[in-house]
Amino acid sequence: MTDTKQDQEKRVVLPVDPTRRTEIDKQRVPMSARPYRLLAMVKQDAVVRVQKEPDDTVMTWPHLLSIEFLAATVMSVFLLLMGLFINAPLEDLANGNLTPPVAKAPWYLLGLQEMLAYFHPVVSGVMVPFLYILFAGFVLPYIDRDPERKRPSERKTAVVLFSLLCILGLFVTFVGVFFRGPGYSLVTPYLPFFDNFTNGLHFSL
Amino acid sequence: MSFLERVDLAIRRSGVWRSLFRNPYPTDERSRAYAVMNNVFLHLHPVRVRQHAVKFAYTFCLGGLSFFLFLVLTVTGVYLMFFYIPSTTSAYSDILNIQASVAFGLLTRNVHRWGAHLMVFFVFLHMMRVFYHGAYKPPREFNWVIGVLLLLMTIALSFTGYLLPWDQISFWAITIGLNMASYTPVINTPIQNLIFGGLEVGQNTLLRFYVLHIMVLPLVAAILLAVHFWRIRKDGGISGPL
Repeated sequence: MTDTKQDQEKRVVLPVDPTRRTEIDKQRVPMSARPYRLLAMVKQDAVVRVQKEPDDTVMTWPHLLSIEFLAATVMSVFLLLMGLFINAPLEDLANGNLTPPVAKAPWYLLGLQEMLAYFHPVVSGVMVPFLYILFAGFVLPYIDRDPERKRPSERKTAVVLFSLLCILGLFVTFVGVFFRGPGYSLVTPYLPFFDNFTNGLHFSL
Repeated sequence: MSFLERVDLAIRRSGVWRSLFRNPYPTDERSRAYAVMNNVFLHLHPVRVRQHAVKFAYTFCLGGLSFFLFLVLTVTGVYLMFFYIPSTTSAYSDILNIQASVAFGLLTRNVHRWGAHLMVFFVFLHMMRVFYHGAYKPPREFNWVIGVLLLLMTIALSFTGYLLPWDQISFWAITIGLNMASYTPVINTPIQNLIFGGLEVGQNTLLRFYVLHIMVLPLVAAILLAVHFWRIRKDGGISGPL
């Protein structure tokens, strides 16, 4: 690095070969012909950047926009087909006096409901979601800070902890969705050789 | 020059057309840069993006698709609002009416429902993608926090919308949520009164969830989305490859 810099400073600047004169050379005027004073000399390489950094960017139009357009189109078609062929669930009119055999929360809260079966409601209904949000949401980016270490192999603790939390969440949600039946008892859907089998899923989206 | 070509040219040369579009259809780098900068919808983007950011396998378009689903849900939701009254006596029959006699009512309700579930799912996936890429690290810490708030907004939007059909599924699902809130230490009754409008799910709950669902939460989410997108640009664009 320092060597090349010294080389550049020592380099003798030769007059431009007339056959290779560029636009900038043609615009040059002899110093005496100028009706103004010379205030300062600025090194040419500071004004005209000859060596350009290698560029790893592409134009947003068309490269990014085409991908976005394609993704939005595929999603629209998918949603339209879903909407045409699968109807949203709708049961009987709400009745506070008639408890249904299976009452389940929406799937994203079903993990919490599943944990009600294992722990005291204060733990599973309040402390667990509160700690999840507090830790994953607001504390994590302020304690795992080193911006150089991004590869999962360079931050094993964070990756293992986060993956464990994800797997635990997925597991309780999975059990809540598929393996809980009437009265929130454990059931095994569709498998008649189990004692607690049921003939369908007790779940609606 | 055929007739159609002349009509096309006349339209493009007309004052009305040129008042709509400042620049002709962009064909080179310069005009494409202008098109992105000068268009209110496209100017969320920088003119150039880094090469790895346009690889599908880097982002899987998860954040963009979450936002697209938000837009789809806004449009379908506004259409459904025309035919729905948040009252315990008419909500359920309004849903039946939407499904039976409103033009494209059944399709709109289905798309709204499936889109809502997909949005929650995609926001979860987006969060996991960002974590495994280490994209929450400085200088992007605060944008991660905004993202988690947006996840909570998404869940809250989905949860409040869940009650609106006023059928057995929604009534008992929200009742479970109400019971969970009752285990909050110290402030259980105030929370139930504030969010659910009482100690059991009823007319107050329906009206509160409706107002939250169609007005409060979408507004808050839109503001957070604006900050989220703004911060992506200000924090140096999408995070670099591993």
